[in-house]
Amino acid sequence: MRRMFDVRGLVKSYGPVRAVDGVSFAVARGELFGLLGPNGAGKTTIMSMLSGLLPPDEGRILFDGIDLASKPLAVKAALGIVPQDPALYETLTARENLNFWGGLYGLSGSALRSSVDRVLELIGLADRARDPVKTYSGGMKRRLNLALGLVHAPRAVLMDEPTVGIDPQGRLNVLDAVRRVAASGTTVIYTTHYLDEAETLCDRIAIMDHGKILAEGTLEELKRRVGGRDVITVRGAPDLSPLLPRIDAMPGVTVASAEAGKLVVAVDGSGRGAVELLSAVLSSGLAIDGISIQPPSLSTLFLNLTGRELRD
Amino acid sequence: MRLLLHLVAKDLRRKARAPFAFVAALSFPILFAGMIALAFGGGGKLPKVRLLVANLDEGVVGSAVVSAFGSPRTAGMFETTRVTEAEGRERMERGRASAFLTIPKGFTRDLLDGRPVTLRLVRNPSEGILPEIAAQTAGGLADLLEGARRVLSAPLLRLRPYLEDGIDSAPADADVVAIALEATHAIGGASSLIFPPVITLRSELFGGTEPAAEDKGGTGSQIFLLVLPGVAVYALFLVAENAMRDVLTERTLGTLRRQLAGPLTPGTYIVAKALYTCVLATAAIAVVSLVGWTVLTRPVSLPGFVLVSMALVLAVAGTAAAIYGLAGSERAGATLAGAIFLAMGFLGGGFFRIESLPPGIRSVAPFTPLYWGTQGYRALLEHGATLSGVARYAGVLIAMGVALLGVGMAALHRSARAGTAA
Repeated sequence: MRRMFDVRGLVKSYGPVRAVDGVSFAVARGELFGLLGPNGAGKTTIMSMLSGLLPPDEGRILFDGIDLASKPLAVKAALGIVPQDPALYETLTARENLNFWGGLYGLSGSALRSSVDRVLELIGLADRARDPVKTYSGGMKRRLNLALGLVHAPRAVLMDEPTVGIDPQGRLNVLDAVRRVAASGTTVIYTTHYLDEAETLCDRIAIMDHGKILAEGTLEELKRRVGGRDVITVRGAPDLSPLLPRIDAMPGVTVASAEAGKLVVAVDGSGRGAVELLSAVLSSGLAIDGISIQPPSLSTLFLNLTGRELRD
Repeated sequence: MRLLLHLVAKDLRRKARAPFAFVAALSFPILFAGMIALAFGGGGKLPKVRLLVANLDEGVVGSAVVSAFGSPRTAGMFETTRVTEAEGRERMERGRASAFLTIPKGFTRDLLDGRPVTLRLVRNPSEGILPEIAAQTAGGLADLLEGARRVLSAPLLRLRPYLEDGIDSAPADADVVAIALEATHAIGGASSLIFPPVITLRSELFGGTEPAAEDKGGTGSQIFLLVLPGVAVYALFLVAENAMRDVLTERTLGTLRRQLAGPLTPGTYIVAKALYTCVLATAAIAVVSLVGWTVLTRPVSLPGFVLVSMALVLAVAGTAAAIYGLAGSERAGATLAGAIFLAMGFLGGGFFRIESLPPGIRSVAPFTPLYWGTQGYRALLEHGATLSGVARYAGVLIAMGVALLGVGMAALHRSARAGTAA
């Protein structure tokens, strides 16, 4: 595998808080690599370091064999950035925004014009290109935000949660554009806390929490790590704690989380654990509103790795 | 260089799309100066000074003072009314006059004896500049009388009996000849001191400006000229502040972070912003100058004007850079800039002519770049200064500008880097 990114032992601390704690990973050329984790996991800090905006306390970042620390401008010129919050000039039109960002990366003349036309087509804003950005909807701004990171045809793009706070239709449009970018052979590092995005978009995924990578691999590899365990969620009485001693005594069953009105349990996929659990719940006399069973997934893997659910 | 121009062009395009702040800052000096000009000289003519005079003196000098305000030279400016002391006070209380002059009893006698005498002038503060004209005229008259008394002391002593008694008592022919000869000698010896006349009403009123006939708009244009340099320089600071604030605006928008994630160093970004500020300030000077030129046709040294303007552009960009470099946030910077510029406007002669300020404030004024800019333009407009005449003002402005720009850009550079880490 020819590596586009080779990240080794990244560490970044803010005072006593270790936001990124010894992170290492590699991304192959043309790969769509996902960083999945809850808010505060350290994803954006890693993206800031990868884009050269934030120097790491420790560790090294190689981009296509070039050390980012020694040649930052050369690396930055080859990267595209899609920040979490749209960074646009709202009084300018979409075309003017794209012209500016393209020009910043050295494009001019017909090359700039054709590149701007290409990305406008990609994000479906060609018909609104001459309107001021301030007249755009939130979803359209998100799409333009994506286009600004692509206008100079970068070799790799860093996308930091580009679908946060966007309506469902706008989200689908952005995800479609991301797929097309990846399909064109551009390397993409994509951070998200949406499980479905990571599952459907990414070639490989690194699951993060508390500044560390907990697991890394393709979706299938990660699912195998769950070990075929289902996750059963029980919702009902405000206090489900009377069930806990019985569940703890069941072989192959682990309580992942217990909170008011909700109990999350991981069980072996053999079925025996699930049957025992369900019979214990039903015979407890507690008011039960519902029981759901999830097959092995990234969600169950995250639950197994952290003992917590990954919420949107 | 291409990158710098690319960044400046983007900022200018953004400014063109949202020009309100720029237009408002530019409108301020033109509207302010225009309103003042209209208020005090709108029709090309000042309103007359309504002067009340209570002459308690029985001698000829008191009568001469009263006559002075009705002379052909001053009749166009003053509407003089003789009143008693009581009438004068009552009319002033009702705001029916611009000023009230009292010539004390025994004024002629005391003057001839060399005793201190006092002409009392009460001004009506609600009439703005008009009472000041009366005060200036009366002051000039007092100076003239004092000069005449000193120069003509000998012949006046001989005339004293006749002057004290009024014109009813006439001297003998021989006395007239002797006194006339003595006066002629005294005047001849002191002619260089008392001629041309001490009082030149127009020059006192308009701070030494050229005759109004040279300008298109007459008196109104002269007052416009008096006010314009100070408020125009003040407005330039507002324009620069608004431009430099964009560094923090872009930090808030996220576009600063995005640009620095590209092939752009913080230093290049800050230099581009300073350049953009200079371009806007230059455009502002051009617009205000154009407006000034349509009102005034007075010839101004073009090299001198360009030198002062360029130095001022550097100074305003430096001041704005220093303020926003040291401010932690956009809001803090705007507050700090507002306070500093307002203080500079008052202390540096932006809103009032520096001569009319108390000595304490006048001593502080040279520490503000606004003072040097205003004085530089005044030297060009009011005194016809050439390039060498304004070199001093430009030199100080350049020194201040370079120092402030250095401090400001270093601080903004640090601020830009910190902003990317957010």
